[in-house]
Amino acid sequence: MIDLKFDGVSKKYKIRTNGDSPKRWYARRFAKRSGQMWALRDVSFRVNEGEALGIVGHNGAGKTTILKILAGITTPTTGEITIRGRLAALVEVSSGFHPELTGIENVYLHGAMLGMRRSEIRKKLESIIEFSGVGRYIEVPVKRYSSGMYVRLGFAIAAHLDPDILLLDEVLAVGDAAFQAKCLERIAELRKQNRTIVFISHDLAAVHRLCDRALLLNHGSILSDGPARQVIDEYQQLTFADQGINADQDGEKGSPAQFTGISFSSPDPLETIRTGYPMVARLSYKASKDVPDAVFRVSIYWPSGYLCAQLTTETTSGGFMLEPGSGVIDFQCPMVPVVPGLYRIDLTLESKGQEVALRQRCATLRVEPGKIAYGDFHIDNTWTITDTASTR
Amino acid sequence: MGELSRVAWKFANRMSIPPETETASQISNHPVDRASPQNQQEISPSIRSAERPIKIIRPPSFSLATISTGLRTLAQYSDLLYTLSLFRLSVRYKQSALGWTWAALQPLALMGIYTIIFTRVTMVATGGTPYPVFVFSGLLPWIFFSSTISNAVNGLVLYPNLLTKMYFPREIIPLSYLVASFTDFCIASVILSGLMLYYRVPLTWHMLYALPIVLILAGFAASISLFFSALQVRFRDVGLAMPFLLQIWMFTVPVVYSLQAVPARYRTLYLLDPAAGLIESFRRVVINGVAPDLGTLAFCGAIVLASLPIAYAFFKSSESTMADVI
Repeated sequence: MIDLKFDGVSKKYKIRTNGDSPKRWYARRFAKRSGQMWALRDVSFRVNEGEALGIVGHNGAGKTTILKILAGITTPTTGEITIRGRLAALVEVSSGFHPELTGIENVYLHGAMLGMRRSEIRKKLESIIEFSGVGRYIEVPVKRYSSGMYVRLGFAIAAHLDPDILLLDEVLAVGDAAFQAKCLERIAELRKQNRTIVFISHDLAAVHRLCDRALLLNHGSILSDGPARQVIDEYQQLTFADQGINADQDGEKGSPAQFTGISFSSPDPLETIRTGYPMVARLSYKASKDVPDAVFRVSIYWPSGYLCAQLTTETTSGGFMLEPGSGVIDFQCPMVPVVPGLYRIDLTLESKGQEVALRQRCATLRVEPGKIAYGDFHIDNTWTITDTASTR
Repeated sequence: MGELSRVAWKFANRMSIPPETETASQISNHPVDRASPQNQQEISPSIRSAERPIKIIRPPSFSLATISTGLRTLAQYSDLLYTLSLFRLSVRYKQSALGWTWAALQPLALMGIYTIIFTRVTMVATGGTPYPVFVFSGLLPWIFFSSTISNAVNGLVLYPNLLTKMYFPREIIPLSYLVASFTDFCIASVILSGLMLYYRVPLTWHMLYALPIVLILAGFAASISLFFSALQVRFRDVGLAMPFLLQIWMFTVPVVYSLQAVPARYRTLYLLDPAAGLIESFRRVVINGVAPDLGTLAFCGAIVLASLPIAYAFFKSSESTMADVI
């Protein structure tokens, strides 16, 4: 069964140049017509029942517009959308709160705004209060709440909705780690109950984890639609391509060398990169003049943002002389020690210890499950068992 | 070697982060195996799917057909209208020492000042009714009407977050102010009965006419509120003009003076304003104890029956772009 259907949906916004005000009547005659912007252009897709769809793309690609149209906050300029079932949108979990009202009063108010009946809220009230963990503060006006309590209460209400289709927009971006874990747990629960989920996020690791399928949006159009993994890869390439263009124009203008690509693969063409198995990283570059004492670095970051490891051409005697022209550097890694996951990549080129070219967050490295690893790393090992009693 | 120690330092830094973060990153490193047969078993055979509603979203259009779909959605959200009206009342008197007394205090204070002006400074013919009861019976429907409009017009733009971050039928916001003002009207009605008993104004069965009169007045207030609150989202001029427009309006309806004070040849023109006809009728049935002029009532009813659907259709068609222009 199809739960969501977008048929040729476009959305046009007018851009008002004169601040936010309508044109003054006396200025209207002389002013030029205000500009237009297509936030979405002929977007069509379908989501099946029980499917989790991720939507990725740069800022302004149209992700939030899709969600706002689905939620009914705004309407499309052309096209048609069909929704089968009760839909709940979590755009900002506590935006409906009134500061003067107590926690309980806000639960009723916010719940009603999300489309819950009073009887339904009354039944779930105990459970909502417990989930939020605000305890006796539930009788206090929410203006006295800490921002954490505010968000927790908001999510507690939303988590007790019983939608057929759930829309999530960056809800995981707020709150501390424990709260995020709670959100993820609740979403996983909904997934098990075969609910349909549309998830919009910049957190590619979360999209990969939660969604079967993903859409890549670029300037209001669908660039690709397919398995989440594949679409995320395409998004990464798009990011790299975009940055390449920018770099040519300004960023690396004075730089004697540029990066033209990075790829990770397994030496066995039929294999993927897996924990405990070999990998090859190929870095391509273009140098316009001599780069003395050159050192290339490929930095691998954890999803949390900390440096995990680095591939480098640095030796104890320093760098090498890089001559003009283009070329590739192959890093041969006999074994990938890190646990499965998505890692982000930075590229740097140094000359005499000075950074001369930098490409931040330009690619991802995906490591698949291979040898069994717990913790952060796999330590390559063999083992033997010796019966000490019998040797005695 | 230097690089190695830098990595080691970063790594050590990573180890020192709090345990919650560790848990979170652990989850991210072990993707859930979605295809496992165990998960498949837990999927309940979809009983819910039987009566799932189908919703179709299309580009907005101004047509009277939007009224029926609008009213159906409004019915689904009737609990929100109830909850929101309830909280309008409770929020209004929060952190105020006098609380609910304010609902009675405002018309009483106005009654006092108008009584002083129109009995001491200058005289107004009331047809024998004591002036305090006379003016109070006019202030009562007028305050209901004008406070609904002045609150409702600013209601939508007061909390832009509600419009840009969530969806519910937006007309609930202006309508909740109507319900709240109506509650104040009921409280003030008790005061009016007290005044009538004090001044020995006779109570008659004709007072029951007040019910349809107030209903028509509420309908008129609703159509004006819907129309101008939608317009206010786009043009803030509405909110700026409304306070003094209402002030002028009050002197063009028979609140502080009686209809008899208006020259007879202008009376037809004067009664073209439904607010004037309704307030005059209200006073007539309550204070004078006579039947209302049914012609005037029928005219006001017809105006409301025509304006309410138009105002609602206008509201619903602007609703679709409210989040974009606010």
